[in-house]
Amino acid sequence: MYRYDSLDKEMLTDRSNEFRHQAARRLSGEITEDQFKPLRLMNGLYLQLHAYMLRIAIPFGTLNTKQLRRLAWVAKTYDKGYGHFTTRTNLQLHWIKLRDAPDILDALAEVDLHAIQTSGNCIRNITADPYAGATADEIDDPRVWVEAMRQWSTNHPEYSYLPRKFKIAVTAAEKDRAAIRSYDVGLHLRRTRDGELSFEVMVGGGQGRTPYLAKTIREHLPAGRLLSYLDAVLRVYNRQSRRDNIHKQRIKILVATLGVEEFTRQVEAEWALIEGADIDLPDTELARIRAAFMPCAFDPQPASSPVFEAAKADPEFARFTRRNVHPHKVPGYAIVDISLKVPGETPGDASSEQMDLVADLADAYSQGEVRINYTQNLVLPHVKLADVPAIYAALKPAGLATANMDLITDIIACPGLDYCTLANARAIPVAQSIAKRFADPERAEQIGDLKINISGCINACGHHHLGAIGILGVDKKGEEYYQLSLGGSGGDDAELAKILGPAMSGPAIPDAIETLVETYIVHRKDGERFLDTVRRTGLQPFKEAVYASAD
Amino acid sequence: MKMLTANSLTTGEVVFWDHGQWSVRFADGERFEADEAADAALALAETQPKIAVAAYLIDVEDNDGHWVPIAFRERLRALGPSNTPQHGKQADGDADVEAFQASHSSARSTGRVKLIKR
Repeated sequence: MYRYDSLDKEMLTDRSNEFRHQAARRLSGEITEDQFKPLRLMNGLYLQLHAYMLRIAIPFGTLNTKQLRRLAWVAKTYDKGYGHFTTRTNLQLHWIKLRDAPDILDALAEVDLHAIQTSGNCIRNITADPYAGATADEIDDPRVWVEAMRQWSTNHPEYSYLPRKFKIAVTAAEKDRAAIRSYDVGLHLRRTRDGELSFEVMVGGGQGRTPYLAKTIREHLPAGRLLSYLDAVLRVYNRQSRRDNIHKQRIKILVATLGVEEFTRQVEAEWALIEGADIDLPDTELARIRAAFMPCAFDPQPASSPVFEAAKADPEFARFTRRNVHPHKVPGYAIVDISLKVPGETPGDASSEQMDLVADLADAYSQGEVRINYTQNLVLPHVKLADVPAIYAALKPAGLATANMDLITDIIACPGLDYCTLANARAIPVAQSIAKRFADPERAEQIGDLKINISGCINACGHHHLGAIGILGVDKKGEEYYQLSLGGSGGDDAELAKILGPAMSGPAIPDAIETLVETYIVHRKDGERFLDTVRRTGLQPFKEAVYASAD
Repeated sequence: MKMLTANSLTTGEVVFWDHGQWSVRFADGERFEADEAADAALALAETQPKIAVAAYLIDVEDNDGHWVPIAFRERLRALGPSNTPQHGKQADGDADVEAFQASHSSARSTGRVKLIKR
């Protein structure tokens, strides 16, 4: 994987030193909170309900084991021994003290980690397919391009004060595992008929109060022209977007207001004025980045493994292979998902001990690499099939072998009102109550793929617009209420979920989910997922069932 | 009745105004019957920016002899996150914690005075 060069390291050290002085000036009273707040936010340090929260960037969701162990150590030393993986593939520590923050940033910088651009109106941490470099269905490693964008966008002076935050996601595989159409810019790398790499550029997606799926403004952008084209997109946005109304500052509103044709025309006109050679990376630099992502040599393995097949005699291991083990591009290897969704536990949380264990397993079995999935799970990307039983055996006693990827218990949930100052309602306890209701793994598997996404407020960090069942926490006359929506997806079949009906109280949610599932089972045709059935039948049968039983 | 709350500058911990100083214990918090006294305490607290940040007033009510914040959000702040009972002030498990938990159903979100968007 990519390693920071001396410029990157110098930048992180400088930033860390700068923050140490800023924090000292705040603690001594030399600067006010109003002066300090934007400075701490530029280093990912928020003040939440119970303490400061540090949001640590994990570019393209890739960590080496030294970094993961350092995150575990920071969580154990300065927090309460756990961290929360987010839908932006970042790690949040929820119990940070301001006086410790400079030491933490130093400790992170030593392993090329930081919290820069995890807050504020700038280009945020760029996410990618969690199976990048491992999956057979990709035409290139998208992280090469994300790394190019990381270098371009980090501390970019022109984009340090955008109208609002700006999020980019990239995939280079056929299957979209990065929810690219739900971001300000989604990039899908493909190969043209003549074999050239080209991006489909989608702009103006986003969730929150006014959700949109990104629209394609260019079908084929020569991949080497990516940075100059993004410059054109950002310049049009920076120039045209509404800075006067917080609800209209995202690029999705600009694209919707101008219309995709006019927005595209302006971007193309802007692009024509840009001297690409000044901005686009030369082939030599791209080749240097690409070389850093070349995988280690894969020992040739037989395409199937007798050890792996024999272990399936254990039905629980067999289920693990069905749900959490995926084909790798190299025969005899697999991609292994590690679920952070034990029914009844907090989605996305991992203890320091769990992080250390995953680092040990990655060193032993996965070329020292770990990925973060935006679904708040972890991935071991390069595993020999023959090693999967040993990995499973090590994960199981640590509570990391739940075989539930994409099932009803694999719930995305934001921190919600338990931690977040912006939230209207709690999200975690709702996820816990649903997961406990469907904890029987056999039943969950019979129900099949079903994504439940929960957000504690309209900002939609829990991706409720993209859930086959989306749940939004609202404040209804002072009480926590939850609004259900159905039919959403962030994948290839991306669609925004539609509201089912009036909001209901938290304790009513598991029964409502039960009713939705029963209704699906009655209506489903062979091979249909919950999402397929909802889209075929529409919301009516589900609406009738939920609200009839609620009466 | 009102109370004054904030977060400690150095630790971020939730604190409550107690006759001119800040306490980490909700039970120690001073209660104000008169709005003028509450506003005066808030004004005084704002002159101590090296100790606490983002001070604001909250509404509290008597619940069978125990004072609890009206706002559900403020109960979570005064207790700790509901998904981890071992974290936050609730870990102490005293009578106030039990009163908070028992009065769950009467929570309201409107008990945050002069809401500050942070």
